[in-house]
Amino acid sequence: MWLQIKRTIKFAINNIAHNYWLAIATIGSIAIALFIINVQIANLMANNLLLEDIQNKVNISVYLKPEVNDEAGREIARKIESYPEVEKVNYVSKEEAFEKFKKDTANNQVLQEALDEVGDNPLGITLNVKARNSEDYPKINEKIKQDTFQDKIESINYEEYKGIISNLNEEIRSSQKITIILAVILSLIAVLITFSTITITIYTHRKEIEIMKLVGGSNFFVSAPFVWEGIIYGVIAAVISTAASYGYLQYIIKNSSDGSLLSLSSARFIKQFLETYLIRNWAIIILSQLLAGIFLGVTSSLISIRKYLKI
Amino acid sequence: MIKYHKVSKVYSRQDKAVLKDINLEIQEREFVTLVGYSGAGKSTLLKMIYAEERPTSGDVYFYKTKINKLSRRKLPKHRQQIGTVFQDYKLLPQKNVWQNVAFAMEVAGKSEEEIAEDVPQIIDIVGLKNKSHKYPEELSGGEQQKVALARALVNRPKILVADEPTGNLDPISTWEIMQLLLKINEYGTTVVLATHDKDVVNRIARRVISMDKGKIIKDDAHGRYCI
Repeated sequence: MWLQIKRTIKFAINNIAHNYWLAIATIGSIAIALFIINVQIANLMANNLLLEDIQNKVNISVYLKPEVNDEAGREIARKIESYPEVEKVNYVSKEEAFEKFKKDTANNQVLQEALDEVGDNPLGITLNVKARNSEDYPKINEKIKQDTFQDKIESINYEEYKGIISNLNEEIRSSQKITIILAVILSLIAVLITFSTITITIYTHRKEIEIMKLVGGSNFFVSAPFVWEGIIYGVIAAVISTAASYGYLQYIIKNSSDGSLLSLSSARFIKQFLETYLIRNWAIIILSQLLAGIFLGVTSSLISIRKYLKI
Repeated sequence: MIKYHKVSKVYSRQDKAVLKDINLEIQEREFVTLVGYSGAGKSTLLKMIYAEERPTSGDVYFYKTKINKLSRRKLPKHRQQIGTVFQDYKLLPQKNVWQNVAFAMEVAGKSEEEIAEDVPQIIDIVGLKNKSHKYPEELSGGEQQKVALARALVNRPKILVADEPTGNLDPISTWEIMQLLLKINEYGTTVVLATHDKDVVNRIARRVISMDKGKIIKDDAHGRYCI
């Protein structure tokens, strides 16, 4: 058996060497498909990290009017905390808010002077509301606005975050869709190209195949070289695409400068993604690349063999 | 060894019977010549031995196995017991003589040691000892057919099927090939030869089966070409 495997691999390598331009085109097309899929997935994962990060930081800050006292403030906090969507409410008293404000504006001369002028604490109680799920913020926002204590609210800062969160959610959802569609289309193209390459190989070796069958070559022996050919294409393409994807992601990290949302996700979070996720899971990633490459190669060979080898 | 039992073959596309109710037995170590015009059904009859064609009705036996009922999985083992040569040699142009012969052994799963031992022997038997590194295009037609013969024999088949092996050859080469076939037969291999070369048939004077329009019209133990 081992001898047969060795021989069929030898035949496969001969076949590839015989038609190396075709081989290069085939490997290239599988590699490009895998590369684009990789970059899409990396981008998607980086966006997820970004979203997670923002979700952890985001909350709705409810500023109560200055005249609302501590007791009424705590009552409102309890009420908001009883919403099923709310994870917790962080209560910031007037004094804490004032201290924090003073600290934050310590090097702003004008504000410091203005505070001295007022003398009293002009700030109200702040309630920092954290949702269980970032998608629930609009709902919580509406609930707070319509609750019985709405006349005690000075303002809610939700609107500033609203844009970012919904944009991000949308971006992630659409890039998920794009990733899936791209993956399917590119895989199909790669399979088609590999399929035609192997069909050409079968065609150019039809005499050899005829003789193999005539002298009693087993079905395994006759078809195995073409399966190996597909595997070899897949493996080489996987190696190339892994290296290319890694290089490309590194390049993005180094070269993204503007602070747009996309480059934020593409740079900082791709970096995080590379450093934490990729490096920790390199074995799984390389393995999955190889499997994806082999899958594409072998699928194409099998279709071609079924169609043209009549085994 | 080979037995045709009520074998008929109809090609569905032409709706014409190529073989009609053939009953024929070939014994071990026999040398059988099949003669007849083109289209008489000689090739179809031979193809049934190596299961390239299957009868529309009837059975073809190789010893006790029904060749026409062999599964695709069992086909390779069956074919390894049968050597085949054709008018067009079917050599691989990018392989030299040695590699062409070794190819049959590689495909059959023989070890490198066996290949190294048997290939030179068989090349010697067919008389191409000094040309084992030549490529088919550097050889004459007769020499190419000798390579094909060596390849057919290298796996030690029980039966050799030769379909018009001398069809493209000059008289001298033809005679060389015929002598090789006779020699192979003497060593114990059954030979089934299809030809329409009258001289060949008459000179070797072995069993002659004459075919016409898909039927066996004559079967002589020491026959002559008489169509």
